[in-house]
Amino acid sequence: MVKKITIALAGNPNSGKTTVFNNLTGARQHVGNWPGVTVEKKEGSCSYQGYSIRVVDLPGVYSLTAYSPDEVVARNFIVEEKPDAVVDIVDASNLERNLYLALQLLEMGARLIVALNMMDEADSRKYRIDVEELSRLLGAPVVPMVANRNRGTEELVKKIIRVSEKEVQVRGLVINYGREVEEEIASLERLISQDGELSRKYSPRWLAVKLLERDEDITKKFK
Amino acid sequence: MDKEEILRANEQSLAHLRSIYGDETETVIADARYGFISGLLKDVLKKPPIERLTLSDKIDRVVVNRWLGIPLFLGIMYVAFQFVFTLSVPFMDWIDAGFGWLAGLASGIGGWGGSLLADGIIGGVGSVLVFVPPIFLLFISIAVLEDCGYMARAAFVMDRVMHKIGLHGRSFIPMILGFGCNIPGVMATRTIENPKDRLTTILINPFMSCGARLPIFVLLAGYFFAAHAGLVVFSMYIIGIIVAVIVALVLRKTLFRGISSHFVMELPPYRLPTVKGVLTHMWERGRLFLRKAGTIIFGVVVLVWLLNYTGALEPIGRAIAPIFTPCGFGQWQAAVSLFFGFLAKEVVVGTMGTLFAAEEGVLGGAIAAQLGWTPLVAFAFMVFCLLYVPCVATIATIKSETNSWRWPIFAIFYTTAIAWVVATLIFQIGRILVG
Repeated sequence: MVKKITIALAGNPNSGKTTVFNNLTGARQHVGNWPGVTVEKKEGSCSYQGYSIRVVDLPGVYSLTAYSPDEVVARNFIVEEKPDAVVDIVDASNLERNLYLALQLLEMGARLIVALNMMDEADSRKYRIDVEELSRLLGAPVVPMVANRNRGTEELVKKIIRVSEKEVQVRGLVINYGREVEEEIASLERLISQDGELSRKYSPRWLAVKLLERDEDITKKFK
Repeated sequence: MDKEEILRANEQSLAHLRSIYGDETETVIADARYGFISGLLKDVLKKPPIERLTLSDKIDRVVVNRWLGIPLFLGIMYVAFQFVFTLSVPFMDWIDAGFGWLAGLASGIGGWGGSLLADGIIGGVGSVLVFVPPIFLLFISIAVLEDCGYMARAAFVMDRVMHKIGLHGRSFIPMILGFGCNIPGVMATRTIENPKDRLTTILINPFMSCGARLPIFVLLAGYFFAAHAGLVVFSMYIIGIIVAVIVALVLRKTLFRGISSHFVMELPPYRLPTVKGVLTHMWERGRLFLRKAGTIIFGVVVLVWLLNYTGALEPIGRAIAPIFTPCGFGQWQAAVSLFFGFLAKEVVVGTMGTLFAAEEGVLGGAIAAQLGWTPLVAFAFMVFCLLYVPCVATIATIKSETNSWRWPIFAIFYTTAIAWVVATLIFQIGRILVG
């Protein structure tokens, strides 16, 4: 009996996302369009130890605000299709900027795996990254990789399966936005929780933060 | 719970937070996230005390230097165009000779069939296919500059300039891509988050001179400006950029008011481009040109030949031509070429090839002799071709990217109006100067 898993690949542009996608799926990919918009949708699949993994390549984005069609597409897929796992490809030599997306994915409640790519580049700059500590602080598994030499791919696949099977828990992340903002988040959260329709689909806290960020796409859902 | 009520509560929260922080809440939230990250990295990441400058950093000291950056960018572009122009000439001569030989064979058939083959298809499609070498070489240059990481630097350098016109460097990448073809240029605007920035960038993209316009420039500059052809072609690209900048400035002051957003510009490390990568990128773009030559250009050229053969073309041309008299090219042949050029800009050359039943090698001479063009008229015509209506495919892309008919229709009219005004100014002022 083959078990089916769906995962999404997220990541900043230039993080090596395409290389990871190719490593995972090989030649088994096809290209289409996301419904309603002209953003390219790439999909592929891979098999591993009795699992058939469908890999959906999300557009490369820096954040998940709803400013560009790419960002909306990426976010909607995660919120609406609820993939079994989301792999965020992170450039290890550029952690500061790349982690912003990881944070947003975790806030959304995505079952996130951080693929710490370009470890060789970080090494050559003599960066020392404490992978375990990073995983602990983010509350999500972290897999070091060098995608363009196909290193770490198998570990990533194993981790994908364990996260999908809920053998590894993704704790999720709650960022403290400061006392005053948190007070407003809490009161909005209370109001949102009373709306059955919205709170079934989204986490009320996430919606509250998005409203405070004046997210157009989310604001529309309240009209 | 009423959703309206949640939105009202949200507005109150936002007003309250604004009064406390004196800043927009979205900024406060983003700052908190970055604060979280920098705190986390203090525990996780140890950088060497003095970060060694990588080779990329060293190159960047020169390439993105405040004073050297822009001259260097212009210099690199100029060298690229000289490379394209000089290297393609012998190849073009071979292809041209080949088509000349074919046309000679075909006209031997005689009758309308011989004319269709020799004047229509070989004259028309042949005069476009001759431009395969410069177009492919242009795509190679763009691919090399992209793959080695220079394009990102060009965007970074232009960021400062772009801010002055109310856009940012991220708008520059779509403009550079527009040099290949405006369609990917328009599509690349998806990475621009602010809708006003995005729309401005889409609307000025057609001024970026795409590969399809290159045949027109190479043909006319090659004949009318022989020794300075490379410089004249280069000037077309610069005029395109200048017009785009002015239009962006005007749009930001009128239709799309508001501040442009600030973003971190990505500077990936320099890489040595691979032959395979460069050729793949060249082929991705180049095959579209070949496909166009086989389909739309072929079709239009046959149509033009048919209309010409039956005598229907000249009246159409004569009806439109007077519009172009102030620009200096009020001949019906020019009008017809421009009219069909809406379908694809290469068709301007293809149509001329069919009308004058000549291949590229002698087409420039035929235009000069039969239309009486001077270098000034040729220059005005080139500028008009540069600026006027985007091709049908680009219009369709603008439609699908903006999700409305308003902007493509706007683009059709405002670009053509600008083209007419600029070409007229060039011709009229030039005429006074030349005397």
